[in-house]
Amino acid sequence: MGFGGWFGKMLRVNLSTGVITEKKIEKKVLSDWIGGRGLGAWTIAGEVPADCDPLGEENKLVFATGPLTGAGVPGAGRFCTSAKSPLTGTILDTDAGGRWGVRLKKSGYDILIIEGASSEPVYLTISEGKASLHEAAKLWGAGVYETNDRLKDILGHDTSVACIGPAGENLVKFASVINDGHYTGRGGLGAVMGAKKLKAVTTQGSRKVEIANKEKLDFMLYEAGKWLKANPITSQGLPEFGTPVLVSLFNELGVFPTRNFQDSQYPGVANISGETIAEHMTTGRKSCYGCPVQCARLLKTKTGTILGPEYESIWALGPECGIGDLDTIIEANHLCNQLGLDAVSTGVTIGCAMELAEKGIFNTGLSFGDTTGLLQAIKQIAYREGSGNLLAEGSRRLAERCGSGQYAMQVKGLELTAYDPRGLQGMGLGLATSNQGGCRLPAYMAGPETLGVPKMVDRFSTRGKAGLTINQQNISAAVDSLIACGFVNLAVSEEYFTRILSAVTGVDYQTQDLHRTGERIWNLERLYNLRAGFDRSCDTLPPRLLEEPIQEGPSSGKVVELKPMLEEYYRFRGWNESGVPAPEKLRELRLEDFKC
Amino acid sequence: MLKEFQTFGRDLFLAGLNSSHSGNLSVRCGDRVFITRRGAMLGHLMERDIIETGLHKNDGNIVLASTEIRVHRAIYKETAALAIVHAHPVHAIALSLLEEEIIPLDSEGAYLLHKIPVLSAEHTIGSQELEEKLPGLLKEYKIVMVRGHGSFATGQLLEEAYQWTSSLENICRIIHITRTLKGALKDKRPDEYKEW
Repeated sequence: MGFGGWFGKMLRVNLSTGVITEKKIEKKVLSDWIGGRGLGAWTIAGEVPADCDPLGEENKLVFATGPLTGAGVPGAGRFCTSAKSPLTGTILDTDAGGRWGVRLKKSGYDILIIEGASSEPVYLTISEGKASLHEAAKLWGAGVYETNDRLKDILGHDTSVACIGPAGENLVKFASVINDGHYTGRGGLGAVMGAKKLKAVTTQGSRKVEIANKEKLDFMLYEAGKWLKANPITSQGLPEFGTPVLVSLFNELGVFPTRNFQDSQYPGVANISGETIAEHMTTGRKSCYGCPVQCARLLKTKTGTILGPEYESIWALGPECGIGDLDTIIEANHLCNQLGLDAVSTGVTIGCAMELAEKGIFNTGLSFGDTTGLLQAIKQIAYREGSGNLLAEGSRRLAERCGSGQYAMQVKGLELTAYDPRGLQGMGLGLATSNQGGCRLPAYMAGPETLGVPKMVDRFSTRGKAGLTINQQNISAAVDSLIACGFVNLAVSEEYFTRILSAVTGVDYQTQDLHRTGERIWNLERLYNLRAGFDRSCDTLPPRLLEEPIQEGPSSGKVVELKPMLEEYYRFRGWNESGVPAPEKLRELRLEDFKC
Repeated sequence: MLKEFQTFGRDLFLAGLNSSHSGNLSVRCGDRVFITRRGAMLGHLMERDIIETGLHKNDGNIVLASTEIRVHRAIYKETAALAIVHAHPVHAIALSLLEEEIIPLDSEGAYLLHKIPVLSAEHTIGSQELEEKLPGLLKEYKIVMVRGHGSFATGQLLEEAYQWTSSLENICRIIHITRTLKGALKDKRPDEYKEW
């Protein structure tokens, strides 16, 4: 059995000097950190000063694949982007599907590090192991779709393009990076690209990813395939409705935040549900590389066929802003994609502005339910025009500027996603302790609290949630390093991924090794954030979620009971009362060299 | 928490997975372990039967804890388990006396567990030997049989560990019944399960 999965090479591009170098990555680094989020955290913690300006030259942008990328594993055609976030100031990673990551990998690189900053707009091409920088003045200002099309016209349609839109160029704090219609959306990494004057990175590649034990991999894929086909989430719900299948479900549970988290159910939800979209608008499905789930939807609209909004986007640009008009939501989502904005942060920031106006605190002319205002605000944010210039800084800075920080629905500066944690106690703990702020992905506690994965638990109870949340956080960090899709992980457990990883790489991993690797990544991210000035006081939620009970519905009367869960969480993690990992924990995880 | 202990303790007894006073359950909460009392009847657990003690350190309650406390602690220290079920399922115990490992014949069992290793030990009850050998196997498998003694299953919840225990006994009953019937198997599990 050989050594497969990784090429063992990193590509480093210094935009200040234009120097491009290749370097081998030690096998121990690869087997310890695996790929994706793990390699991203290892690079950022090791190379990016925690006190640096995220939009300055010192910040680095890491694009990392994993050993399963391009290895033919369902849901594993992904890549991860990491940097210090301009929105939060924390270390942040965000991963995406599509084909860009597979082509980077098949070009012969496990990881791409972008450092420095160019004085003029450029784009980077990576093709079959060769990389070069090109002048991009004519692309600067172009939208995402136009940039994508123009570069593919030049480079060929077997090219993948990851690019920014005007929002990234204008350093909007929640600008995203888009490839093949997929988004590394959260935390403003598009602004980091914009600050470096890097309009796009294109990938092309046809190299074969070596598999250490093909026979074992085939058997494991056959076994995992049985679960994908048997589980109604991956075999029916997601293929038929996409992620919008969750709209009705979470609304019924009373955990579907509405009007900037003032309510937790939306009365007109039937008009924007996955079922409605499937019945009236869906014309086709789209998948990431090699994924049988095919959860992306193609929708027929008045202006043509476009990629449909995901669950989170429907919510953020819809009920979160008091809007229930599906056409507006789809148009707003398309606009966010075209301009290169994270739809979640965009919607939540606009929702915050709407509440500030409603309360007479700060009038941007926006009000709940204002569909025209929503579309106009999105454009103003991307181009930093008028009040859009302030909204482009995100909800926390917007609300704090008005002396009303409590109305920003964010954690550590990152806007919350489409789950009201007052009705999901474990989700509340996961969000409060997330290393990158208000994102549900680092610990998808909706799994055990609503979907019964791995088992259904009492969503209103705090008991035992610390341990469950920690396990979810650790395993998510490991799965994000392989890199595998979280949806596939709902049907295929980590014991399968461990064996798939062993078969692909030839390294003998056990299931507990994945947990331990995830724990190491989580603690490393924590150390970086401590260095950047984030302490225990940052492990919290907006006051509304801690103090204002939900008024109506099946979750009525609930607030997040964070304090007891947090205390147990720290003890469980082996951290002291201030949330600092104890020296023995760092020794156990071999992290002594990373001081906080 | 008591309600969960009572639910799964009772189900284990009623399903014949434990005799009147055998088996034990525990959950981990941070650096604390809640475990059934030594000699408790799992079918009739009361508040006094759930003993709280340290994961790393002993305290006065240790005198009341299950005889398997050291094994439970060792498992928690080396795995991400949050719950453990130790049971004495009769068909599984019988099969463990004959086999080096248990490979399910039925589809459900194969889906869920693939293979159940059988661990041989000289001292099988609350022993240092088990404390040393069991956690390693439970890093890789959801449930392990200790030959001639019983099963140890882990999970994130008691329900999960209970499910593996219940599945194991079903698997072993099917193997037992199949072996008593005459004729060759029409469907064999792939050999790859032996490598699981």
